[in-house]
Amino acid sequence: MTVVSTLVAVVGLVALGGQAVRGTRTVDVQLAHRTVHDASVDDAFYACIDTQAHSLVRPGQTVTLGGTNLADVVTMIKGFGSWVTVADPASSADVVLTLHDGSAGPGTCLGTTVVATTHGPDGRTVVRVGTGAQVPGQGPPPAPPL
Amino acid sequence: MSTVVATVAGICALGAAGLLPVLATVGLRWYSVPLAPLAGAVAASLAATASLTFGGSLLDWLLGIAAAAAAGVCALLVVRPELGLRGGPPGPGRGALDRVAGIVGFLLVVMACAWSLRGLRTPTVGFDARSLWLMRPGWFLHGHTQLLVDMRTRDLVLTQSSYPPLLSASVAVAWKITGIHTARLGVTMVALLDACALAAAALAVVQVGRAAAARASRAWLPLAVGIAAAVLLVLVAAGVTEPFLTNGYADPLWSLAAVGAVAYGLQMRSDPSSRAAAVVLVLVAGMTKNEGFVTAVALVALVAARSIGMAGLRGARDRLVAPLVVAVCELAALAWWPVLMKAIHARGATSTFSASQDLAHRTDAVVHGFSPYLHVLVLAVPLALLGGLVLRDVRRRAEVGNDLWAWLALVTGLVAVASALVTGSGAIGPWLLSTAHRITEYPTLETWWIVGVWTVVAVAGLTGSGADDRSLRHAGEAAVVEEDGVGAVGLVGSSR
Repeated sequence: MTVVSTLVAVVGLVALGGQAVRGTRTVDVQLAHRTVHDASVDDAFYACIDTQAHSLVRPGQTVTLGGTNLADVVTMIKGFGSWVTVADPASSADVVLTLHDGSAGPGTCLGTTVVATTHGPDGRTVVRVGTGAQVPGQGPPPAPPL
Repeated sequence: MSTVVATVAGICALGAAGLLPVLATVGLRWYSVPLAPLAGAVAASLAATASLTFGGSLLDWLLGIAAAAAAGVCALLVVRPELGLRGGPPGPGRGALDRVAGIVGFLLVVMACAWSLRGLRTPTVGFDARSLWLMRPGWFLHGHTQLLVDMRTRDLVLTQSSYPPLLSASVAVAWKITGIHTARLGVTMVALLDACALAAAALAVVQVGRAAAARASRAWLPLAVGIAAAVLLVLVAAGVTEPFLTNGYADPLWSLAAVGAVAYGLQMRSDPSSRAAAVVLVLVAGMTKNEGFVTAVALVALVAARSIGMAGLRGARDRLVAPLVVAVCELAALAWWPVLMKAIHARGATSTFSASQDLAHRTDAVVHGFSPYLHVLVLAVPLALLGGLVLRDVRRRAEVGNDLWAWLALVTGLVAVASALVTGSGAIGPWLLSTAHRITEYPTLETWWIVGVWTVVAVAGLTGSGADDRSLRHAGEAAVVEEDGVGAVGLVGSSR
């Protein structure tokens, strides 16, 4: 029994120690320059479209996330889905928010801008572009781990 | 207010909500410290569910639930003062060395957990974290009517919003009390809850070392190895769960909580304190994610079965009724959210299954997809077989539960996750590529915990060869036959 106890204890401790070293290296990857850069760009992009959406929606207004591009809808959910008041049904929304993916330029978030479409009291359609933040460069932002 | 201060405030708020119930049921133990915020997170989850069910704000419900729990605890202590705050476990092992080991083990595990969270220095927010886990907290802070719209409307494509609420509800509490509504605060809150679950699971291994030392001739050795194994397991778990440990994903929380539930409910000596710790951790696992829910239901059944044991089946009423009542209450709490999702016709609440002709292909793909993440089984299976065959008396003396309980829990969780993939309707290839490393965290971690526990047991075997070994063995067996239903059931590892 002593031999088996020794064997199990040594094998267990060596395996745990070896995997612990591997685990430490895995965590260190999170601190690599590339990882930090990608995370910062991703953060800046979503903060940018969040700020632009805030510039387009007044408190109390209901919103629907428009557009036919599923990826854009997901991006909007990620950017400002937590605070917008979603309209039900969608046709009753005060504001329709969409993303316009274009080329990089001033006033864009990696080339993307948030666009609001509303209907004025006279029935006229008003299109406004979000303001208040920009991130230079061309998107999309680096893909975070799934 | 900085994110650090806001995170501390959020965790303290959850800890305050969970403190009294944990102290009353688990007792004054080192592992009660990480369990208190987790119990508070369970209260937040129940508050979110109640808010969606009946109306009212999340914070009002949390205050109500915490106050009701505290009042219940106080009333119980007035009516049954003998219950008190549970003291130390009966039997030997209450000496100065044991107490020092408890303090040192706690401090080292906390330090290892803090070191493992250094990935938080990078401001990463994971894809699912941003699109779901850290987006829903805003919904929980909307009014009841708007929350119903958010959960139901088909215009939002997010079908995962019907996932259990614990994580998002906990973040919502932090957002509400601090006024800071940022994904960054959400990530740090989730990471600290992960660390609490990790610390609780690791401290169970310290407890195994302390129990083993109580009947060892050289007590310092199992104590030291128990602490060392616990610290190493923290570092191992950080490696297995990164980057998701520090980017706001839910998988580490349910996986670590389930591992802790197995440690306290199925691996440690079965006593009221460890069973209460298991209840908290089972609820955390089951209220965090769908995979955790299925695993938690299985763990409820396994812990109840162990508590009942053969004595309960033979008609010992006290061994039968209490575990069944606890299990039913756990299942009711776990089932509330999924039942509510069905009742309100929430998006994503309906299941989809693939055609039967796909099953063979999907099963094959799942086996191959999971294999690279489960290579630790190649080490753990022979180690556990060797231990089960040769070290079973040592295991009993150390008051560790039969190893088969932990393996059953592991297999159950693995099968639950694999079944969801096999019977799901999504394309299996991309699904596996994007999730296999996350959803195998629980079985991988559980296997490492089995290795850790056997390591401590084996060291106890090295110290138990003194002249008084025989009398100690008899004492240990008598205690274990009384405490551990498996010993009487006669599964592998039983000498009966």
